[in-house]
Amino acid sequence: MSVSQINKALPTLPAGWSADKDFKAVGKLSAAARRNVEPVGPYFLAHARRTRHKRTFSEDDR
Amino acid sequence: MSSEGETAPKVAIGISFGNSYSSIAYTSGEAKVEVIANELGDRQIPTVLSYVDGEEFQGTEAKSQLVRNSKNTVAYFRDFLGKDFKSIDPTNCHASAHPVDAENTISFQIKDTEADQQNTRTIHDITTRHLRRLASSATDFLGKKVNAAIITIPSDFADAQKDALNKAATDAGLEVLQFITEPVAALLANDAKLNENSTEDKNVVVADIGGTRTDIAVIASRGGMYTVLATAHDYELGGAQLDQALIDYAAKEFMKKNKTDPRTNDRSLAKLKLEAEAVKKSLSLGASAAFSIESLSDGIDFSLTVNRTRYELLAAKVLGSFNRLIESAVQKAGLDNLDINEILLSGGTSHTPKIASNLQSIFAESTIVAPSTNPNAVNPSELTVRGAAIQASLISEFDREDVEQNTHPALTVAPHLAKAIGVLVGDEFVTLVDANTAVPVRRTAQFNAAEGDVLVKLCEGVSEIKVTKEEAAPKEANGDDDSDDDSDDEPEETREKVWKAGDVIAEAAVKDVKKGSKVEVQINVNADLSVQVIAREVGSKTGVRGTIEASA
Ligand SMILES: Nc1ncnc2c1ncn2[C@@H]1O[C@H](COP(=O)(O)OP(=O)(O)OP(=O)(O)O)[C@@H](O)[C@H]1O
Ligand SMILES: [Mg+2]
Repeated sequence: MSVSQINKALPTLPAGWSADKDFKAVGKLSAAARRNVEPVGPYFLAHARRTRHKRTFSEDDR
Repeated sequence: MSSEGETAPKVAIGISFGNSYSSIAYTSGEAKVEVIANELGDRQIPTVLSYVDGEEFQGTEAKSQLVRNSKNTVAYFRDFLGKDFKSIDPTNCHASAHPVDAENTISFQIKDTEADQQNTRTIHDITTRHLRRLASSATDFLGKKVNAAIITIPSDFADAQKDALNKAATDAGLEVLQFITEPVAALLANDAKLNENSTEDKNVVVADIGGTRTDIAVIASRGGMYTVLATAHDYELGGAQLDQALIDYAAKEFMKKNKTDPRTNDRSLAKLKLEAEAVKKSLSLGASAAFSIESLSDGIDFSLTVNRTRYELLAAKVLGSFNRLIESAVQKAGLDNLDINEILLSGGTSHTPKIASNLQSIFAESTIVAPSTNPNAVNPSELTVRGAAIQASLISEFDREDVEQNTHPALTVAPHLAKAIGVLVGDEFVTLVDANTAVPVRRTAQFNAAEGDVLVKLCEGVSEIKVTKEEAAPKEANGDDDSDDDSDDEPEETREKVWKAGDVIAEAAVKDVKKGSKVEVQINVNADLSVQVIAREVGSKTGVRGTIEASA
């Protein structure tokens, strides 16, 4: 699993910020577009394997 | 050893089958791709068959028959497969066997037996023969019977064309494991070599510039998966137009000293064509090259040296057309030139240095991958066949059923993110995953963090092109009056791509971060667009977890 390194600092938590379990969902993602992924190459095959076996990324890692 | 009754082991190769050239490649056990040379030593095998006294010639030998035996030489036929006679453009066949409407299909009338009679051979027959020869060259080279292939096709090949190609391949003794498109094959081969299968997100333009056509594909490459965003095609633009510029020039030079126009005689024109192509290829490497043709016309020999600058001038119009086609494809994809990270030049004509340098000036921020810009670039004439051979090695062990499932829309059609997702750092949007990425997707990034409690603000983002006008430097008082046109008081424009954060989708607090620690943010976007978020100090087991609900 690749991890990108970002050389920038996350901001300090604003005073008064609070949320249940320190997390709050605020919105939703914009609607997706349906497009065709090319069934070619090693990474597509990994995607196909996960989809066909209904596995998540972390199950796939194991 | 396979005994009787047992099915022969599958030996699969990659095949690139163009109108002008074909090639074959194999991936050996050590995952090394080798482009196979045929019996004549050619890796680029002209897609030409020719018949002399019942003997069949293919490739370079057949192509040279265009001078003396053009009527029994079949060339430029790939694009006729699976088509209606009425819908084809036979222009490219003017100097070889003409396609005719016979046997309810596109056919050629050729003397291909010892008998002195014309036989009607269908496009299916011709393609089958050509593929059989390719398979047999590969079989000879590998020392084992080749019986399967991945064949590359243009990105606009219709189902009828695929069916026709599949039938021809089957009759040639090849099981087509999968058709893959030429631009995607090229990108796969490039990524395997130059980027060592890097999964970095990038928008790539693959420009496949061949002999008779040019095909552009704008591809979103995300985590090593490819999504074609737009394509553009020109069926009258390719290396043949560059040859024509040289042919016209040579003919005019010839006519300065001689009366006849060598272009008016079929045989002279055929000789000029073959030589122009050779000169053109030499000019991709050298600063000058020479025509040298024995008895070009009226028994007169012809020689002429052309330098590269002259050639680029003669071909300027054609060369400009490649830029325009590429820019139109980028627009069609809804992208700006600045969104393009990489332009991969594929196809034989991509050896031309001027094409790469022209592109570099329009796409100043993009990496142009071509032999003249990167000595490690894969030979553009070999990109597609190498991609096919890589895919062949990946799936040759699969059962038919697996391949069918993998290529079925149930698997290949996927939701793609409309906008990028990222983290707001100050007022700067840092992309975690770009737009046009297929979901499910998982991304992880590590950030620096202030000591204490920090905020992870997850939001959508869009990129914009920011245009800044810089006032032109004031003219010098004594400015010469011949000051040129382009400084027309127009302020200089600089364009840059900037990210703008959109709606916030979630916030998370990571508390008590130690001095100098990093904070890791992982998002898992599911197929229904729900998102799992994990944020934690690197090294600590616990962290903040949350879910963003699926979009309605
Ligand atoms: N070194 C070179 N420099 C310039 N042009 C070259 C070079 N090598 C090959 N070409 C040209 O590339 C063209 C062939 O491209 P390619 O091998 O990609 O063929 P193709 O896919 O069969 O083409 P198409 O289907 O468009 O006819 C020819 O016009 C050939 O002259
Ligand atoms: Mg091609």
